[in-house]
Amino acid sequence: MSDFDFPATMDGRQLANEELLDGQGLKALIEAGMTWLKTNQQTVNALNVFPVPDGDTGTNMLLTIQAAYIEIAKSGEKNIGKMAHAIAQGALMGARGNSGVILSQLFRGFARSLDSFDTMDAARLIKALAEARNTAYKGVVRPVEGTILTVAKDTALAAETSLAITDDMNIILERIVAAADESVKHTPELLPILKQAGVVDSGGKGLFYILEGMLRYLKGLPLETALTTVQPLSAVSVGETIESIEPGQDYEVVIDFRPIQPLNFEIFYSDLSEMGTSIQVGEGEGMYRMHIHVPTEKRYQPIDYTMGLGTITKVSIENLVAQMENQGSTQPPKLQLTAVEPGQIAVVAISPGIGISRIFASLGAAAIVEGGQTMNPSTEEILHAVENLLTDKVIVLPDNKNIILAAQTAASMTVKKVIIVPSKSVPQGLSAMLRLDPNGDFDRVVKEMTQALGDVETGEVTIATRSVEINGVNVKEGEVIALHNGLVVNSASNLEDACLGLLEKAHTEDHERITLFYGDNISKNEVNTIVDRIRAAYPHHEIELHEGDQPHYQFIIAIE
Amino acid sequence: MNERTNQIGNIYVSPRAIATIASQSTIESYGVVGLAAKNLAEGLAQVLVKDPTLGIEVCFEGDSLQIDLYIIVEYGVRIKSVANSVQENVRYAIEKAIGLTVNRVDVHVRGLRISNTD
Repeated sequence: MSDFDFPATMDGRQLANEELLDGQGLKALIEAGMTWLKTNQQTVNALNVFPVPDGDTGTNMLLTIQAAYIEIAKSGEKNIGKMAHAIAQGALMGARGNSGVILSQLFRGFARSLDSFDTMDAARLIKALAEARNTAYKGVVRPVEGTILTVAKDTALAAETSLAITDDMNIILERIVAAADESVKHTPELLPILKQAGVVDSGGKGLFYILEGMLRYLKGLPLETALTTVQPLSAVSVGETIESIEPGQDYEVVIDFRPIQPLNFEIFYSDLSEMGTSIQVGEGEGMYRMHIHVPTEKRYQPIDYTMGLGTITKVSIENLVAQMENQGSTQPPKLQLTAVEPGQIAVVAISPGIGISRIFASLGAAAIVEGGQTMNPSTEEILHAVENLLTDKVIVLPDNKNIILAAQTAASMTVKKVIIVPSKSVPQGLSAMLRLDPNGDFDRVVKEMTQALGDVETGEVTIATRSVEINGVNVKEGEVIALHNGLVVNSASNLEDACLGLLEKAHTEDHERITLFYGDNISKNEVNTIVDRIRAAYPHHEIELHEGDQPHYQFIIAIE
Repeated sequence: MNERTNQIGNIYVSPRAIATIASQSTIESYGVVGLAAKNLAEGLAQVLVKDPTLGIEVCFEGDSLQIDLYIIVEYGVRIKSVANSVQENVRYAIEKAIGLTVNRVDVHVRGLRISNTD
């Protein structure tokens, strides 16, 4: 799916005043549902319990409804039946993952019921929802309750009972959304695995957001920003470690509680903001976990405040300053990987050392797979990294010719669109990273990154583990060998001579820049000596030195 | 690979057991509305004796476990997505229940069911 412009809040209040819904009205509602789902996509993704790489439910449902919307984006169709059919067709083509397929079935049933009617009134709406539910249930022999199917069922039922009281579609939608919300909250009671994980069903939640988005649109409420960042319980864990503390953060307070009345998040957040910072709220089944950092003098305030809202089941207070002192400053800074949005291109880079990983991260890699001692990550590790990304357009850089196969296998095991740009070395991988455009056209970016592989010469320096004659070079065990683009070109008794010999063989004089990554098996002193000699030999070249931390190779050299 | 030895003795998991797990997992997958016979002979045999592992083929090639599924899919769903889901569901179920690594899951869509609605 290419980049997509989501509309700013439109005025749905005008639509709300209409008696009947037509094709254009339905189009607006779908757009609204889609936008609100996008805004809350991460919340839905975070609910995914199953390790089965169905991908992220939020992303899948969003991709599905986006596909539906793209089908009608330019349509001026007023006939609601025809519009609904187009939506269903788009959803069918773009259905991703389990929830996406079920969503497409819901659209299909909805469309079938509307047939070729021009407009829809309350009675027709109820029939359409029932048909949507029926069609969705038809798609499986043993429907599992406590999923999106249940929410669809409860929604249709709520609509039906509402019809007895009113035929105002706004009120009916209000009641539908409330019923969907209730149904989602109830899913842990129906599906034990949800209860175990302390989450609600992700597909159900996704459907809820789509419906809520429609309601918000009709009320003129904003769709771009999430109400709050409410996460699942498991994401807000007690005793999280942090790297740095801002002033005023002396204590971490985590409170589990059950509110007596439904929590008004806006007021809750603003009240808490007066006490402290780093506020997070997690939602479980009927229970909330609140996390906040407060200054010493306010450390009991969150507890007193929350006690007034309901029953507190558990409190944890931790002295952050003392914790930081204990940890000391020996922890290396965490990798700052690039966050990725759905629709963007993400890069998974395989790296032999932490220093090199940092460089990949700084160039925009969204995920790094450590190659390990033998530079041999498993297919599972690569697949895992791919699946955890929020997008389904992924490029993998193996950075080693032995890993290309594992990467390709991983790519074949996922429904995401994954292309391997076959970098055979770290310098090639880094060169490709420079051509990354996360918002660009996927095929074009892949092409450019692939072309970039040839922009750099790779040098590798290591100690020979056995004697061999290769490529016309006589190598004795224990000697230092140098490889140029994977081929042994040089052998010497010491690192310095090997490096210089390599640079010569690689025609460095025709290039401009030498970048050296030193490994974890060489001392900084030795590195500096060698680099000084290189500088002396190539005074007009730009020479950069980085700590690569890679095992096995004393030096990895990029010449460009 | 379907036989493991520990200090107490051997654990042997029969292909039939694996097929049953695969069967349950397949029929619970969304979009799948039935399992199909892979050939005429099997189809005829079904008339006489209902086989709970119909539509499932389990094959061990040395250490490598391979599953073939023959399914009927509901008309109107995105078949590719359904098939992918089935693959994942079956692999997950077998690996979780028995602990064997599934090397391959081949999905054969044998037909579509068109549902009439009232």
